Amino acid sequence: MCSLFGVGLAPGTLSMGEAWVRGMGARLTRFSNESELSRVNASAGRWVELSGEMEEVLREALRAYELSAGLVNVAVLPSMEAIGYTRSLSVGPAVAALDRAKPLPRLPEVLEVGRGRARVLPGSAIDLGGIAKGWMADRLCARLGANVLANLGGDLRATGPGPAGDGWPVGVAGVTLMLRDQGAATSSVRKRRWGDLHHLIDPRTGLPSRSGLDEVSVVAETGAQAEVVAKTALLLGPELAPAYCAANALAWWLGESLDD
Amino acid sequence: MRSFVLKAGATLVAVGATVASSLYVTAHLKNPAAPLRPAVLNAGRAGTVSLLGGSVSVGPSVQPGDAQPVTSTYAS
Repeated sequence: MCSLFGVGLAPGTLSMGEAWVRGMGARLTRFSNESELSRVNASAGRWVELSGEMEEVLREALRAYELSAGLVNVAVLPSMEAIGYTRSLSVGPAVAALDRAKPLPRLPEVLEVGRGRARVLPGSAIDLGGIAKGWMADRLCARLGANVLANLGGDLRATGPGPAGDGWPVGVAGVTLMLRDQGAATSSVRKRRWGDLHHLIDPRTGLPSRSGLDEVSVVAETGAQAEVVAKTALLLGPELAPAYCAANALAWWLGESLDD
Repeated sequence: MRSFVLKAGATLVAVGATVASSLYVTAHLKNPAAPLRPAVLNAGRAGTVSLLGGSVSVGPSVQPGDAQPVTSTYAS
Protein backbone atom coordinates (compact mmCIF):
# COMPACT_ATOMS: atom_id res chain seq x y z
CA MET A 1 0.00 0.00 0.00
CA CYS A 2 1.30 3.44 -0.90
CA SER A 3 0.02 6.77 0.43
CA LEU A 4 1.51 10.01 -0.87
CA PHE A 5 0.89 13.54 0.37
CA GLY A 6 2.30 16.79 -0.93
CA VAL A 7 1.96 20.54 -0.55
CA GLY A 8 2.56 22.88 -3.47
CA LEU A 9 3.13 20.12 -6.02
CA ALA A 10 2.43 20.37 -9.72
CA PRO A 11 -0.67 18.49 -10.92
CA GLY A 12 0.04 14.86 -11.64
CA THR A 13 3.11 14.68 -9.42
CA LEU A 14 1.56 12.29 -6.92
CA SER A 15 0.23 10.09 -9.74
CA MET A 16 3.73 9.89 -11.18
CA GLY A 17 4.96 8.88 -7.75
CA GLU A 18 2.41 6.10 -7.54
CA ALA A 19 3.41 4.85 -10.97
CA TRP A 20 7.06 4.79 -9.91
CA VAL A 21 6.10 2.78 -6.82
CA ARG A 22 4.22 0.23 -8.92
CA GLY A 23 7.14 -0.10 -11.29
CA MET A 24 9.66 -0.54 -8.49
CA GLY A 25 7.38 -3.01 -6.75
CA ALA A 26 7.29 -5.18 -9.85
CA ARG A 27 11.11 -5.15 -10.01
CA LEU A 28 11.72 -5.83 -6.32
CA THR A 29 9.13 -8.52 -5.62
CA ARG A 30 10.23 -12.08 -5.03
CA PHE A 31 6.77 -13.35 -6.02
CA SER A 32 7.46 -12.99 -9.74
CA ASN A 33 10.06 -14.95 -11.69
CA GLU A 34 10.33 -11.99 -14.06
CA SER A 35 11.39 -9.46 -11.44
CA GLU A 36 14.88 -8.02 -11.23
CA LEU A 37 15.21 -9.45 -7.72
CA SER A 38 14.36 -12.95 -8.95
CA ARG A 39 17.04 -12.64 -11.66
CA VAL A 40 19.59 -11.78 -8.96
CA ASN A 41 18.44 -14.71 -6.82
CA ALA A 42 18.74 -17.05 -9.79
CA SER A 43 22.30 -15.91 -10.50
CA ALA A 44 23.83 -18.95 -8.73
CA GLY A 45 27.09 -17.13 -8.24
CA ARG A 46 27.26 -15.52 -11.68
CA TRP A 47 27.40 -11.77 -12.04
CA VAL A 48 24.05 -10.25 -13.07
CA GLU A 49 23.69 -6.78 -14.54
CA LEU A 50 21.63 -4.40 -12.42
CA SER A 51 19.72 -1.19 -12.84
CA GLY A 52 21.05 1.77 -10.87
CA GLU A 53 18.10 1.63 -8.51
CA MET A 54 18.52 -2.07 -7.80
CA GLU A 55 22.17 -1.50 -7.04
CA GLU A 56 21.18 1.23 -4.57
CA VAL A 57 18.70 -1.04 -2.81
CA LEU A 58 21.22 -3.86 -2.50
CA ARG A 59 23.84 -1.49 -1.09
CA GLU A 60 21.19 -0.23 1.35
CA ALA A 61 20.68 -3.86 2.42
CA LEU A 62 24.39 -4.24 3.08
CA ARG A 63 24.41 -1.02 5.12
CA ALA A 64 21.41 -2.27 7.09
CA TYR A 65 23.34 -5.42 7.92
CA GLU A 66 26.19 -3.35 9.35
CA LEU A 67 23.93 -0.91 11.26
CA SER A 68 22.08 -3.81 12.85
CA ALA A 69 25.21 -5.84 13.64
CA GLY A 70 23.82 -8.58 11.40
CA LEU A 71 20.27 -8.73 12.74
CA VAL A 72 18.73 -7.23 9.61
CA ASN A 73 19.80 -9.73 7.01
CA VAL A 74 18.11 -9.91 3.62
CA ALA A 75 19.56 -13.40 2.95
CA VAL A 76 16.39 -14.57 4.62
CA LEU A 77 14.47 -16.05 1.71
CA PRO A 78 15.25 -19.75 2.38
CA SER A 79 13.92 -19.34 5.93
CA MET A 80 10.85 -17.48 4.71
CA GLU A 81 10.08 -20.35 2.39
CA ALA A 82 10.74 -22.91 5.10
CA ILE A 83 8.09 -21.35 7.33
CA GLY A 84 5.59 -21.42 4.47
CA TYR A 85 5.85 -17.81 3.25
CA THR A 86 6.34 -18.86 -0.33
CA ARG A 87 3.64 -16.66 -1.84
CA SER A 88 1.64 -13.58 -1.01
CA LEU A 89 -0.24 -14.11 2.27
CA SER A 90 -3.40 -12.94 0.56
CA VAL A 91 -3.61 -16.45 -0.92
CA GLY A 92 -2.55 -18.09 2.33
CA PRO A 93 0.73 -19.59 3.48
CA ALA A 94 2.10 -22.88 2.20
CA VAL A 95 2.85 -25.84 4.48
CA ALA A 96 5.82 -25.09 6.72
CA ALA A 97 8.94 -27.25 6.77
CA LEU A 98 10.67 -25.87 9.86
CA ASP A 99 13.41 -28.49 9.78
CA ARG A 100 14.75 -26.72 6.69
CA ALA A 101 15.17 -23.42 8.52
CA LYS A 102 18.78 -22.68 9.48
CA PRO A 103 20.68 -19.71 10.94
CA LEU A 104 21.33 -17.19 8.21
CA PRO A 105 24.75 -16.82 6.61
CA ARG A 106 26.63 -13.53 6.97
CA LEU A 107 25.19 -11.31 4.27
CA PRO A 108 28.50 -10.02 2.87
CA GLU A 109 29.55 -13.64 2.32
CA VAL A 110 26.57 -14.46 0.10
CA LEU A 111 25.73 -11.13 -1.56
CA GLU A 112 28.31 -9.23 -3.54
CA VAL A 113 27.50 -5.90 -5.19
CA GLY A 114 29.75 -4.33 -7.80
CA ARG A 115 29.30 -1.35 -10.08
CA GLY A 116 26.16 -2.13 -12.03
CA ARG A 117 26.18 -5.82 -11.11
CA ALA A 118 25.62 -8.25 -8.27
CA ARG A 119 25.73 -11.94 -7.50
CA VAL A 120 24.30 -14.23 -4.87
CA LEU A 121 26.06 -17.37 -3.75
CA PRO A 122 24.43 -20.65 -4.86
CA GLY A 123 22.09 -21.92 -2.19
CA SER A 124 21.35 -18.43 -0.91
CA ALA A 125 18.58 -16.01 -1.84
CA ILE A 126 17.46 -12.59 -0.69
CA ASP A 127 14.18 -10.90 0.12
CA LEU A 128 14.30 -7.12 0.33
CA GLY A 129 11.09 -6.64 2.33
CA GLY A 130 11.13 -3.61 4.56
CA ILE A 131 14.53 -2.46 3.31
CA ALA A 132 12.94 -1.75 -0.07
CA LYS A 133 9.98 0.09 1.48
CA GLY A 134 12.12 2.42 3.58
CA TRP A 135 14.47 3.11 0.67
CA MET A 136 11.54 3.78 -1.67
CA ALA A 137 9.93 6.20 0.80
CA ASP A 138 13.19 8.18 0.99
CA ARG A 139 13.64 8.22 -2.80
CA LEU A 140 10.04 9.25 -3.38
CA CYS A 141 10.38 12.29 -1.17
CA ALA A 142 13.53 13.30 -3.01
CA ARG A 143 11.76 12.88 -6.37
CA LEU A 144 8.41 14.49 -5.63
CA GLY A 145 9.21 17.80 -3.98
CA ALA A 146 10.24 19.76 -0.94
CA ASN A 147 7.11 19.29 1.18
CA VAL A 148 6.08 15.65 0.85
CA LEU A 149 5.16 12.62 2.90
CA ALA A 150 5.48 9.13 1.44
CA ASN A 151 4.17 6.08 3.27
CA LEU A 152 5.05 2.71 1.75
CA GLY A 153 3.22 0.07 3.74
CA GLY A 154 4.06 1.68 7.08
CA ASP A 155 7.64 2.73 6.27
CA LEU A 156 7.48 6.45 5.74
CA ARG A 157 9.49 9.61 5.18
CA ALA A 158 8.36 13.18 5.70
CA THR A 159 10.18 16.17 4.25
CA GLY A 160 9.46 19.87 4.58
CA PRO A 161 7.24 21.82 6.95
CA GLY A 162 4.04 19.87 6.30
CA PRO A 163 0.53 21.18 5.61
CA ALA A 164 0.44 23.79 8.40
CA GLY A 165 4.14 24.63 8.72
CA ASP A 166 4.76 22.72 11.95
CA GLY A 167 5.58 19.32 10.49
CA TRP A 168 3.68 16.37 9.08
CA PRO A 169 1.26 14.84 11.63
CA VAL A 170 1.92 11.11 11.71
CA GLY A 171 0.41 8.45 13.94
CA VAL A 172 3.15 6.49 15.75
CA ALA A 173 2.17 3.97 18.42
CA GLY A 174 -1.11 5.69 19.11
CA VAL A 175 0.21 9.24 19.47
CA THR A 176 0.61 12.00 16.89
CA LEU A 177 4.15 13.14 16.16
CA MET A 178 4.98 16.10 13.95
CA LEU A 179 7.73 14.92 11.61
CA ARG A 180 10.03 17.26 9.70
CA ASP A 181 12.68 15.68 7.47
CA GLN A 182 12.42 12.43 9.39
CA GLY A 183 11.39 8.85 8.77
CA ALA A 184 9.30 6.41 10.79
CA ALA A 185 8.48 2.71 10.76
CA THR A 186 6.77 0.05 12.81
CA SER A 187 8.13 -3.48 12.90
CA SER A 188 5.52 -5.97 14.03
CA VAL A 189 4.92 -9.69 14.32
CA ARG A 190 1.22 -9.16 14.98
CA LYS A 191 0.05 -8.49 11.46
CA ARG A 192 1.60 -10.97 9.00
CA ARG A 193 1.03 -13.94 11.23
CA TRP A 194 -0.49 -17.42 10.82
CA GLY A 195 -0.81 -19.73 13.79
CA ASP A 196 2.43 -19.65 15.77
CA LEU A 197 4.41 -18.43 12.78
CA HIS A 198 5.02 -14.94 11.44
CA HIS A 199 7.21 -13.26 8.86
CA LEU A 200 9.92 -11.66 10.98
CA ILE A 201 12.85 -14.08 10.96
CA ASP A 202 15.54 -14.02 13.63
CA PRO A 203 18.78 -14.52 11.64
CA ARG A 204 20.41 -16.24 14.61
CA THR A 205 17.97 -19.16 14.38
CA GLY A 206 16.39 -18.90 10.95
CA LEU A 207 12.99 -19.09 12.65
CA PRO A 208 10.35 -16.48 13.52
CA SER A 209 11.52 -14.12 16.27
CA ARG A 210 10.65 -14.91 19.88
CA SER A 211 12.40 -11.96 21.49
CA GLY A 212 9.73 -10.88 23.93
CA LEU A 213 8.84 -7.86 21.81
CA ASP A 214 5.94 -8.01 19.36
CA GLU A 215 6.04 -4.51 17.98
CA VAL A 216 8.50 -1.62 17.82
CA SER A 217 7.84 1.83 16.36
CA VAL A 218 10.72 4.18 15.63
CA VAL A 219 11.34 7.69 14.31
CA ALA A 220 14.77 8.18 12.73
CA GLU A 221 16.51 10.48 10.28
CA THR A 222 15.35 8.51 7.21
CA GLY A 223 12.74 5.93 6.33
CA ALA A 224 15.40 3.34 5.64
CA GLN A 225 17.06 3.93 9.00
CA ALA A 226 13.73 3.79 10.85
CA GLU A 227 12.99 0.42 9.27
CA VAL A 228 16.37 -1.01 10.26
CA VAL A 229 16.29 0.35 13.82
CA ALA A 230 12.73 -0.84 14.43
CA LYS A 231 13.47 -4.35 13.22
CA THR A 232 16.77 -4.56 15.08
CA ALA A 233 15.19 -3.38 18.32
CA LEU A 234 12.41 -5.95 18.02
CA LEU A 235 14.91 -8.74 17.49
CA LEU A 236 17.07 -7.55 20.40
CA GLY A 237 14.20 -7.90 22.84
CA PRO A 238 13.08 -5.84 25.84
CA GLU A 239 16.42 -5.97 27.71
CA LEU A 240 18.63 -4.49 24.99
CA ALA A 241 16.19 -2.58 22.78
CA PRO A 242 15.95 0.56 24.98
CA ALA A 243 19.69 1.27 24.82
CA TYR A 244 19.84 0.47 21.11
CA CYS A 245 16.93 2.82 20.40
CA ALA A 246 18.41 5.56 22.58
CA ALA A 247 21.57 5.38 20.45
CA ASN A 248 19.93 5.13 17.04
CA ALA A 249 16.40 6.57 17.12
CA LEU A 250 14.82 9.98 17.64
CA ALA A 251 11.64 8.50 19.18
CA TRP A 252 10.55 4.95 19.89
CA TRP A 253 7.92 2.69 21.41
CA LEU A 254 8.41 -0.92 22.44
CA GLY A 255 5.44 -3.31 22.52
CA GLU A 256 6.04 -6.38 24.64
CA SER A 257 4.82 -9.78 23.59
CA LEU A 258 1.21 -10.66 24.31
CA ASP A 259 2.12 -14.36 24.33
CA ASP A 260 2.92 -16.16 27.59
CA MET B 1 87.06 -7.17 22.03
CA ARG B 2 84.31 -8.71 20.02
CA SER B 3 82.51 -10.02 23.05
CA PHE B 4 82.75 -6.58 24.64
CA VAL B 5 81.16 -5.00 21.57
CA LEU B 6 78.38 -7.54 21.63
CA LYS B 7 77.67 -7.01 25.30
CA ALA B 8 77.74 -3.24 24.91
CA GLY B 9 75.36 -3.44 21.99
CA ALA B 10 72.92 -5.65 23.86
CA THR B 11 73.07 -3.31 26.82
CA LEU B 12 72.38 -0.31 24.62
CA VAL B 13 69.38 -2.07 23.05
CA ALA B 14 67.99 -3.00 26.44
CA VAL B 15 68.43 0.51 27.81
CA GLY B 16 66.96 2.02 24.69
CA ALA B 17 63.91 -0.25 24.88
CA THR B 18 63.43 0.61 28.52
CA VAL B 19 63.60 4.33 27.86
CA ALA B 20 61.22 4.09 24.90
CA SER B 21 58.74 2.01 26.89
CA SER B 22 58.74 4.40 29.81
CA LEU B 23 58.18 7.34 27.49
CA TYR B 24 55.23 5.54 25.88
CA VAL B 25 53.66 4.52 29.18
CA THR B 26 53.93 7.95 30.74
CA ALA B 27 52.27 9.45 27.65
CA HIS B 28 49.27 7.07 28.01
CA LEU B 29 48.36 7.26 31.67
CA LYS B 30 44.75 6.39 32.50
CA ASN B 31 42.56 9.42 32.96
CA PRO B 32 40.76 8.95 36.28
CA ALA B 33 37.85 10.98 34.90
CA ALA B 34 37.35 8.69 31.90
CA PRO B 35 33.81 7.25 31.66
CA LEU B 36 33.45 3.56 32.32
CA ARG B 37 30.59 3.11 29.86
CA PRO B 38 30.38 4.02 26.20
CA ALA B 39 28.91 7.44 25.60
CA VAL B 40 26.07 5.91 23.65
CA LEU B 41 24.53 4.61 26.87
CA ASN B 42 24.82 7.94 28.65
CA ALA B 43 23.57 10.40 26.08
CA GLY B 44 22.16 8.81 22.98
CA ARG B 45 21.15 10.37 19.72
CA ALA B 46 17.72 11.13 21.14
CA GLY B 47 19.19 13.48 23.76
CA THR B 48 16.90 14.21 26.67
CA VAL B 49 13.99 11.86 26.28
CA SER B 50 10.47 12.40 27.52
CA LEU B 51 7.63 9.92 27.70
CA LEU B 52 4.58 10.65 25.61
CA GLY B 53 1.31 8.96 26.40
CA GLY B 54 3.14 7.06 29.11
CA SER B 55 5.00 4.82 26.71
CA VAL B 56 6.46 6.59 23.65
CA SER B 57 9.99 7.87 24.21
CA VAL B 58 10.53 11.13 22.35
CA GLY B 59 13.73 13.11 21.91
CA PRO B 60 13.87 16.90 21.52
CA SER B 61 13.97 16.81 17.70
CA VAL B 62 10.54 15.16 17.53
CA GLN B 63 7.50 17.20 18.54
CA PRO B 64 4.15 15.80 19.62
CA GLY B 65 1.06 17.24 18.02
CA ASP B 66 -2.69 17.53 18.45
CA ALA B 67 -3.54 17.50 14.75
CA GLN B 68 -5.30 14.51 13.25
CA PRO B 69 -2.59 12.34 11.69
CA VAL B 70 -2.68 12.10 7.91
CA THR B 71 -1.22 8.59 8.03
CA SER B 72 0.46 6.17 10.41
CA THR B 73 3.17 3.58 10.58
CA TYR B 74 0.49 0.93 11.04
CA ALA B 75 -0.48 1.16 7.36
CA SER B 76 0.28 -2.13 5.63
